[in-house]
Amino acid sequence: MTKLSEGAIEALSNGTGGNDAVLQLVNIRKIDGGNGPARYRVMMSDGRYSLSSFMLSTQLNSMAEENVLAPNCICALKRHVTNILKDGRRVVIILEIDVIKSAKDVAGRIGDPIPYTEGQSKAPQSAPVPESRPPLQPQNKNEMNRVFNRDFGKKASSAMPSTPGGSSKVVPIASLNPYQSKWTVRARVTNKSSIRTWSNARGDGKLFSMELVDESGEIRVTGFNQEVDKFFSLIEVGKVYYISKGSLKIANKQYTSVKNDYEMTLNGESSIIPCEDSCDVPVVQCDFVSIADLESRDADTIIDVIGVCKSVDEVTRLTTKTNREVSKRTLSLMDMSGKVVTVTLWGEEAEKFDGSGQPILAIKAAKLSDFGGRSLSASFNSTLMINPDIPEAYKLRGWYDQEGHAMDGQSLTEVKGGSGGGNTNWKSLSDVKNEHLGHGDKGDYYTCIATIVFLRKENCLYQACPSQDCNKKVIDQQNGMFRCEKCDKEFPNFKYRLILSANIADYGDNQWVTCFQESAEAILGQNAAYLGQLKDSNETAFDEVFQQANFNTFVFRNRVKLETYNDESRIKATVMDVKPVDHKEYIKRLIVNIKKLAAQ
Amino acid sequence: MAGVLDVPKPRINTSMLSQHISRPVCFVGRVEKVQPTGKTFTVSDGEGKSATVELNEPLEEELSGIVEVVGMVSNRGAIMAATYNTLREDKGVPFDLELYNEAVKLIHDFPQHYPFEVAASG
Repeated sequence: MTKLSEGAIEALSNGTGGNDAVLQLVNIRKIDGGNGPARYRVMMSDGRYSLSSFMLSTQLNSMAEENVLAPNCICALKRHVTNILKDGRRVVIILEIDVIKSAKDVAGRIGDPIPYTEGQSKAPQSAPVPESRPPLQPQNKNEMNRVFNRDFGKKASSAMPSTPGGSSKVVPIASLNPYQSKWTVRARVTNKSSIRTWSNARGDGKLFSMELVDESGEIRVTGFNQEVDKFFSLIEVGKVYYISKGSLKIANKQYTSVKNDYEMTLNGESSIIPCEDSCDVPVVQCDFVSIADLESRDADTIIDVIGVCKSVDEVTRLTTKTNREVSKRTLSLMDMSGKVVTVTLWGEEAEKFDGSGQPILAIKAAKLSDFGGRSLSASFNSTLMINPDIPEAYKLRGWYDQEGHAMDGQSLTEVKGGSGGGNTNWKSLSDVKNEHLGHGDKGDYYTCIATIVFLRKENCLYQACPSQDCNKKVIDQQNGMFRCEKCDKEFPNFKYRLILSANIADYGDNQWVTCFQESAEAILGQNAAYLGQLKDSNETAFDEVFQQANFNTFVFRNRVKLETYNDESRIKATVMDVKPVDHKEYIKRLIVNIKKLAAQ
Repeated sequence: MAGVLDVPKPRINTSMLSQHISRPVCFVGRVEKVQPTGKTFTVSDGEGKSATVELNEPLEEELSGIVEVVGMVSNRGAIMAATYNTLREDKGVPFDLELYNEAVKLIHDFPQHYPFEVAASG
């Protein structure tokens, strides 16, 4: 029979209760609080007294919704805070609770608890704020608490700083809610936006936002107009502050990945005071997701990951649709699940990133994409930490140095490009059709080994604008001049360019593909200018080039996409790259595939 | 015996010789040693094992590198060559004998997919 902590209710209700009290849940009830998340009010008993003023913090709501917390179950109260309401009543907010014995395993009510009322043993006025034990202090003795604050448990009882000004006591961020107004948090700023301005029909203004983190959780804070003037210059990312008297409201999850049901708005009464003694406040709160679990997550979710940076590509520059040039760098991240995922860094992060020595990389708020299977993107909201000073990082380092480095790691991301990578998306032409490649929104890329069986030499050359980087077809003005609509110019000459339709085949199927300049030149073995010359001067030799090109086998990298013209949809295949077959590589791959098939 | 060239000749390595006695085969190996008579030479396969090749006529040229021999396997396990052909290594990709040996083994591991033996006996 589990023994309840007799006397715990009395201690809790006068604010001196410790943690790990074993209590029986007597009743749990949902309180619908308007548009916010539901809150649960809980009645607990220690066998002698019962107390109904327990509230479940919202992050524990799932325990109630899944009926883990049900009447009669026996629980250990791991972490809580006690709040005093305006009318003097105390409310115990449960921050962490373990069910020791589920309701179905408990015979019924233990003992005969009577409702506890203050004054039963002590006058309520006698201890408004007990000196020995500030009631609003988090009772944090839980070993399993966030690993970041490994020092926090030790310090909680002695080193918890009192609030400057003494207006209210320091509370954990996780316990903040709109129903109490007297509180102070002591938190580190992990992210601060620039000042943004708006202007609309109702006027204009400015705002900034920042993210706060402490050992219990995180919250987003926004300041408007006067608060921007008052606080923006004071706030430095990475520093710790005492913050009190902000307004709390339901967080709009659409705009933030911060894990808190509420967000804070600074108001005229808010105060922000720098805190010097800040070493025990965690730097960043992360909720790392195993790379293996990424497959089961939805695309576009924001997650935190940590892994070993196995390999890094060079920085590339590309131009976005809006004609902005950005730097981009991809890297492979592997964790103890043995799975690897491709991560893309952008802009300054891409340029600065140094992947030498296979560092541990933690990314907070990376965006999960289903591009090429599963991949991650670090956006401007993400925080990158290289070799962070956190236990996960040391654990990973140890694992990687001992065994991880020898693992190949299975990638969740299909690498396209296939330039030497072992992850080329090899397909046979019948696979491409059977697997309906190209039917998605974005085109699909694959690589195949196939043989040219037919080349359409009609219309394979066109007269293009001679200016560099412009390949637009020119219009023959019939007066010796050629007009380019794109450049809006007339030229006395043009250059020949190739657009070649080819039918390629492998053992199972064939496929019409379109080859542009470079790939067509590679297939024909001649350059476009020479071919243009032959076409105009020596038809026989021109035909001969096409005859010679037949029945040659190449490695093709193709892009397929379903395109619709006049309500008719068909798969369009474009050759991105043509390479001669590396027979040794090809044979090795075939042997591996045969052995794999044989093992099935 | 003129028929050797007209029937299927399974590709084998040295360790498969004993199972192909009195049957036409195709053997690719590296020339190791040519006897002074010029009528016999040894070849090694992708596993480094040697086999003996016997010719009807003495060699008229110096033989080295990779050679493909077609012939019958004698009772003693020697290949009685009907013809041979050297694969020149100075052109193109060098011949990978180990890889070739892997392929030969696969052919014999999956006769259902590579039914050359069936055709040979039929």
